[in-house]
Formats: sequence, structure tokens, C-alpha cells
Amino acid sequence: MQFFDLHVHTAFSGGESSIEQLASRAKQLGYKGICFAEYFQNENQIKKLKEEIQKVKEKVGIEILLGFEARNVKELKHLVDIRKRFDILLARGGDLKMNKEACETPEVDILTHPEYERRDSGLNHVLVKEAVKNDVAIEVNFREILLASKKTRANIMSNIAKNIKLAKKYKAKIIMCSGAISEWELRDPMILSSFGTLLGLDLKEAQEALEKNTESIIKKIKERKSENWIMPGVRVVK
Amino acid sequence: MKEKNQLKILLPTLREKERYVSFQIISEEPIQYSDLEAAIWNELLDFYGESGVAKLSFYLVKNLYDVGRQIGVVRCNNKSVPLAIAALGLISRLGDTRIIIKVLKVSGTLKGLSL
Repeated sequence: MQFFDLHVHTAFSGGESSIEQLASRAKQLGYKGICFAEYFQNENQIKKLKEEIQKVKEKVGIEILLGFEARNVKELKHLVDIRKRFDILLARGGDLKMNKEACETPEVDILTHPEYERRDSGLNHVLVKEAVKNDVAIEVNFREILLASKKTRANIMSNIAKNIKLAKKYKAKIIMCSGAISEWELRDPMILSSFGTLLGLDLKEAQEALEKNTESIIKKIKERKSENWIMPGVRVVK
Repeated sequence: MKEKNQLKILLPTLREKERYVSFQIISEEPIQYSDLEAAIWNELLDFYGESGVAKLSFYLVKNLYDVGRQIGVVRCNNKSVPLAIAALGLISRLGDTRIIIKVLKVSGTLKGLSL
């Protein structure tokens, strides 16, 4: 099994643990790779992070990707402009404008927690169809569930289940991530996939959300980084 | 003659199918078994409720808990394995100690867990 956790925050963007702590914990839990989703600050940050990641990658022996999570539409547009400089572009969902913009942008790889701090689920059939068209994966964030309790947890789980139902209907890509900001919030892939079954996925779909769907995102990134790639849907054929 | 106070064992086809799940606790500090037991039962009852837990046939195997390696075993029926594992994942603290539960193996027999 080759599991990836594509949404983890480090101390660079408000997290509690360092890149090395998170990477070694992820390896211990059986992940093949991990993606650090940082908040964009400035151009120098990318260089600094890349250097740090390279060091840890060699030391720990786990695949590490660099991602940026856009917090608003303006930031998202800026990150789309410098898209080639990092691996994964995540869009922080929750705000309806942001959900819409993320689903309509082909450069975005993952829309994170679309139901975040909302009373509704944050997605409808129109947005999900757009997400399918632009190959944007919809994230199920475990941290949101982990930190909530009782009524709040029940509401969050109900909204996530609604999003999963829509995603399944329109065959949108679902991925499950820990959304951890500390090494102690990372979870075993088996626990995440088991939790998926409570949210309306069957066990096979839940495992795909951690394995096959994340791998297809990584494959897309590699294609995008090749010299032949020009823009989504356009590449040079030799 | 010794009085028999036990029921006759059910036929294999009538018995409930069981699964054993071995797990390891990764923690900041060494943990006590009693804390772990309380945390698991509280989480299960909070999350699934009494009637939900009744359907899991859940049992924490006390005598198989390895204090040194912090490895434990839970038993549930074959239909409830994902439910039992999901509830274990929601435990993030034992008192002040932060923990992560890592699932090692799921098996139909204790021997299969190769502890």
C-alpha cells in the first residue's frame, strides 16, 4: 500500500511540529509520502522550504512534496501565477467564493474542507460538476472531526457525508487527509480509511481516497513539471 | 461429580464471527493500562452511544496488553472492524499525554496477530 497524506501544516505556517518531526512520524505510521501545505508569505519562503525539505527527505527517507494552501481568492490567483515553483496547490474551502473559485480553476489540485465553519456543506451539484471538469479533488479533513465534539462533530460529519454523496454521484475525486498541524494529529492510514466508511464511502473507495486518488494527483504534478507541459490539456507531443 | 455451570458451546455456524485488531500506542510518555481502557470505552460510548457499542460486540483484551511495547488487542465482530478502528482514531489524549494509535493487524484469530 502506498499511502500519501497531502495536507499537513508545519511550524512554517502556524503548525506545532517541524518538517523533520512530521516526516518521521508519517513514516512510522506507514505513509509513503507527505505534502506540506503552507500558507504563502513571500517568494523567499519557497526557496527556504525547498532546501529544508531536501535535507529532511534524505535524512528520513520519505517522499515529501511542497504545497501551498491559498486562504483567499487574491492569494489563489497569485499562487496560480507562480504555479510551476511548487508541487501542490490547495485552496482553503469554507468561504463560498473560495469554494467556487477553487472548483473553477484547473491549476488547483485540492479543495480542502469545503464545509469548514459553515452550516451547509459548502458544495452543490454545479460546483461538483465544475470540480470534475477541472480535475479538482475534494478533501475530507480528519482534523476538523478530531477536534470537534458532540453536536459540532455530528454537524461536520453530516456535511462531509453530503459532500461525499455528491462527489460519488458525479465521480469527483475524493481524498482523505489528516489536516494535521502537529505530529500528534497525524493518523494511521487504516484509521482514516475506516473513518471514511462512516461518512458514506465503502472500504474500497476509502482506501482509494488515500492511495489511488492521491497517486493520480502526484502523477499530474509530475506531468505538469515536465518540459512538454504548457497548460492544462495542452502539451507538446514529440 | 463436578456440576456443569456452563452453556454448551454453540455450533460454529451459529457463533458470531470475531476479529482481533492489534494496535500500538505511540505516546509522549509511558501510559497506564487503566487510562487506556477508560479512554477507549469513553470514546466508544460518546461516539456510538450505548446501543451502537452493543452492536460492535467490543472487548478490550486485558491480558494481552504489552506494557513495554504498548501493544494492545481489541476484539469485535467481523462486520464492525472499521467502526472499532475509526473510534480508536478519535482518541488523541490520555490525561495530559498526547497519543497516536497505530493499527498493526486485523485477524480472525489471536494466533494470526503474531504478537
